[in-house]
This record gives sequence, structure tokens and C-alpha cells, in this order.
Amino acid sequence: MIRLLTIISSRWTRLVLVLLIIQSLQTTLFSDLRPFGVAAQIVLLFVVVAGSLYGLAIGALTGLIAGMMIDMILPTPVGLSSLTLGLAGATAGLLIYFFNQPTWWMRLIAVAVASVLGEIYFPMAQSVVGLDGWLQLRVIKVALIVAICNVIISPLAIVVCRWTLSERKTAV
Amino acid sequence: MAAGQSTRRRAIILLILSSIILITLDLQNSSSVSSLRSVFGAVFRPVESTSRVVTRPISNAWHGIFDYNEVLDENDRLREKVAQQEGATIAAAASVRLAQELLALNGLPTLAGINAVTTQVIGDSPTNFAQTVEINQGSESGIRVGMPVLNAAGLVGKITKVYGDRAVVMLITDPDFALSIKVINTPRLATTTTTIARSNSATPSPVVPLEPNQTLDSFVSTTTTTTTTTIARFTPSVTTLPATPSGVSSITVPLASDLAVRETGVIEGRGPARQPTVRFIDNSLRFGDIQVGVPIVTAGGSRSLSPPDILIGSVSRVVERLGSAGPVLEIELVADLTNLSFLRVLLYQPITEKVTP
Repeated sequence: MIRLLTIISSRWTRLVLVLLIIQSLQTTLFSDLRPFGVAAQIVLLFVVVAGSLYGLAIGALTGLIAGMMIDMILPTPVGLSSLTLGLAGATAGLLIYFFNQPTWWMRLIAVAVASVLGEIYFPMAQSVVGLDGWLQLRVIKVALIVAICNVIISPLAIVVCRWTLSERKTAV
Repeated sequence: MAAGQSTRRRAIILLILSSIILITLDLQNSSSVSSLRSVFGAVFRPVESTSRVVTRPISNAWHGIFDYNEVLDENDRLREKVAQQEGATIAAAASVRLAQELLALNGLPTLAGINAVTTQVIGDSPTNFAQTVEINQGSESGIRVGMPVLNAAGLVGKITKVYGDRAVVMLITDPDFALSIKVINTPRLATTTTTIARSNSATPSPVVPLEPNQTLDSFVSTTTTTTTTTIARFTPSVTTLPATPSGVSSITVPLASDLAVRETGVIEGRGPARQPTVRFIDNSLRFGDIQVGVPIVTAGGSRSLSPPDILIGSVSRVVERLGSAGPVLEIELVADLTNLSFLRVLLYQPITEKVTP
């Protein structure tokens, strides 16, 4: 019973529930509002923020879980988003690793760069599994707009990510 | 701390391996992945529906602020277009009905004989690397994977995923989209007509070709009225002259060489920023030079996922290639894929796909 409660109250359970809400926002609001014809990627934002706050391993794990969830609703092969988002989370963690004591603007830079790379990983992975045709010059435009949107929304994402992934002692 | 890191590393390796296994399984069309998707969909849909309701005001406010002027301009443009097309639509509808009657009379398949389901678009693709939309009808309405999807203008895409009460439509612009099509080319613009002079007597009249510079008056002495219906980008229909009081009537029919020539190819999407292209067109002499503006329709056939003669678009650019390789055609779609609302799914399956009980 205690073990079950520990699992339920763990940050990973919280992460899955929060990701469910974030993903629903991605498929509704953010796929509808398209600045310059590009959909902002808040799932990717959450993953790179997790990577920039908690490092490579947590970033990769968050990305893999988030990707697995989004794979279930995309027409692309299952596992593709989990690999690319996992890689994006790890990239964000790796970028922050190079800064000794990262300040807020260093994290923002890491979020921006990891967002650009994360958005490019997906069409690359699509090409690897034979879904050709997406690696075009348009990818650069898409990646830059996604990065700008992510930087704008990142303060909110940092708050949500901190609340979700912080480790708390269970009262049980 | 070290134990925690080791567990985390194991979890990452496990997740990476499971991702790769899932990709492999899904590319093999595994049923377990499909059922996993269905289960997740059942959990996720209520959350998504709630989010849609909650975020609708934000979405409306966004569109109100950023798209208002565009909507006004579009409204003006559309009013003008509607006024222009009102007359042509009536003529076109009459021609279509006539064509369908002729096809039915000859036992050929027509679109009118295929059942359809009207659906509404409920969502766009959440990523920037898939040209799909989600519709609010699924397998419960008889929709199956591969069925063609149309809007009022023409072909929009095909069904790629089906759930109980919803389905995913892959748009023509998706790089994974491919469909066999027909290019209806008009090799020459000048029309040569043949006049069949017919009297009331039982003796048949000879068929006399009419020279381009000759007029009908040299053959028919009485005054006649000719009505020609011209629909943009389509071959003009046969013109019939009414019977004359003297009992001699003339019928002008186009020569066989003036009729539209059809050639098949494959249309392929190239992403949202680029027009789809048509490849594998034969570089035959009879087909002639392809004119910009000629229509592109679905080819049909026992192996095609789409019935014949659904309008897709028109040729906007012809890219000639060296050697015997045929030209590549860039296609301007008739359907506006950026603004889809109501769609029609044709419940059509080719004979090769039908499951016999």
C-alpha cells in the first residue's frame, strides 16, 4: 500500500499527468494558433526546460516519456517522437553542463538552441525510417520560429516543470 | 546517489530500446501497437476535448486579433468570385449531370453512385512535419483506411488512420501522399469541326471536313444559331445546330484529334510550402505539349484507392526533362488545404481491397 502511494505521489506519475494536459494543449490550442504558419511546440519546450533544469538524464527521460505519449496520437511510427524528444532533452541537459553556474539567460539560450535542434531531429528521424520529403529549407524557418515561441513561453514552462519534477517527501 | 544514477541509466536504456522496438513493430503494422494507440486514445480524448472547450475563447481571440483583416479581404474576394462563377456553375452542373447520365447509360462507374459521409475537421496536425487533419467520423460510419476525402472543390487527401469515432486524413501536400492521376491535355487550341449535312430523306449524307477558314454558311443556307458553353480549363462540349425549316440539319462534332488526350501519372506531395508534382508522364508525341491550366483528375482503376475523375487541380508549371523522361508537372490544387472545415469521405474501396465475407 505504502509502495503504491509512493508510486502515485512520485514525480514521474505527476509528469505523466502534466504531460497529458500539455499534450492536449498542443493538439488543440497550439496546433490552431500558428504564428507565421508554424505550430509552437510546447511538449518540446517542456522537455528542453526539464533538461536545462535537471540535467541530461532527467531531460532524456522526460523526452522519452513525452515522446512516447505523443507518438500514440501521431500518424508517424510509434517510437519516433520518443527518440527525438529524448535526444532534445539530453541536448538541453548537455548544453547546461558546459556552464559552471548557469544563470537564467544561460538557461534561455540552452532552451533556444535545444528547441532548434529538437525541431530538426524529427524530420531527420523521419528520413531515417523512410518518411522522406520533410528535410527542406523550411525546416530552418520552422525551427527558428519554434525556438522564439519557446523562449517567450519558457518562464511559464520553467514554473510548471519545477513543480512537476521537484522531489517531495511523502507524508506517509 | 550512485544507485539512483544507475537506475536512471537503466531506465534510459530501456526506454531507448523500447522506442526502437516500437518503431520496428509499427513499421511492420503490428496489431499490438494499434491496440496500444486505441487504449491511449480512449484515455487522451476526454482530456483533449476538455482542453478544446477551455481554450476555444483564447483561440477565437487570437484569430480575432490577427486574422480579422485577412478575413475581410477574403470575404471581398469570395463575393467577387461567387458572382463570377454563378453562371458557370449552372452550366457546369448541367454538363456534369449529362456526363453522369451518359456514364450510367454505358454502365461505367460515376461518383454519384458512391456513398459518402460528411464530416467536420476537428483538429490540425500537432507537429510541423505531418500534413494531416483529424475528422469527427470513423469506422462506426463505415470509414476505412485509404478512402478518398473531398471538399466542395475537389480531392483533399486520403484516410490514413481510423478510430471508432474519428479518423486522420493525410493531405495531398504530405510528402508521403501518392496517387495515380490523369492529365487531360488539349493538344491544340484551334478547333477544326466536321459538318454532317443531313436531309430528311433516308439516304445518308457524306461527312465533309470543314476547313478552319470556311464558314458554316457555305454548307447551310438558312440562318442558324450556335450556343457554345465554355467552362474554364475544360474542353468545349459538342455544339449542336438545330434542325432547319428546310429539313436539313447540321451537327458539328470535333475531330478525334481535337478531343482531350488523357495520360496517367502519379501525384506526390512535397510539404506545405511547395506545390505537389506529377511524375511518370509519358513523353509521347500524341499527348503533345502539356498546356498550363489543363485539369488533373484521379485515374481510378481496380488498384487505385480513389474512383476515377475526381478533380484535383490544374497544371501550374511544366518542367521539361532531358531524354525520354517525361515532364514533371507542378499542380495548383483546387481545394484550399489551409482552410478546411467540412469534408466528404467517399466510402469507396477498390475491388482489390474489398474483403469478401
